[in-house]
Amino acid sequence: MKKNKNTNTKSREDRRNSPFEDRKRFCPFSQKTSPFIDYKDVKLLSRYISEKGKMTPSRITNVSSKKQNELARAIKRARFLSLMSYTQKI
Amino acid sequence: MNKFEAVILLSPDLTSDLITNEDNSFAKIIEKNNGKIISKEDWGIKNLSYNIQNYKKAFYIFYQIEANGSIFQSIKKNLTQNEKILRHLFVKVEDHQQLPTKMIDNEEK
Repeated sequence: MKKNKNTNTKSREDRRNSPFEDRKRFCPFSQKTSPFIDYKDVKLLSRYISEKGKMTPSRITNVSSKKQNELARAIKRARFLSLMSYTQKI
Repeated sequence: MNKFEAVILLSPDLTSDLITNEDNSFAKIIEKNNGKIISKEDWGIKNLSYNIQNYKKAFYIFYQIEANGSIFQSIKKNLTQNEKILRHLFVKVEDHQQLPTKMIDNEEK
């Protein structure tokens, strides 16, 4: 009985961070091999905008707050140069 | 001296002679202010993702510059008064990237 109880209960923070068990989440830009955030790299930036053309929040994409700042600046620059659109019709 | 990147959008109506003219005049302004153009890259004519002054396409030119940051205030003023230039962007960078940039890489693939 006691053993079962231990496996079922997890710390609250553990549960909040991972919707699935044993799945580690990490920032895609903070790793050693991760790409450099650049306003010219439209292909990379377009992965971080929604269908409507809005930036996706970092709580969904798991980008760290430091890198999310850089990402937002890069997207805004790309939009200004008309490489990306501000809005998209669905 | 700091390192900068510049992107300039030219209107698509210009002939190739006029484009080289604009290119030369931009280089001249920077050299006059003790700046240095390290490299230049032509992205060619590209589709805009939204209309700028009723144009749907534009010529993109990309520069890597080494200069004092204080010179750009007067240069930007010059560029905004030029009707052939639709947009311009100056960005300060730590290090210059190796050419070719991602923009050209993506097109080839």
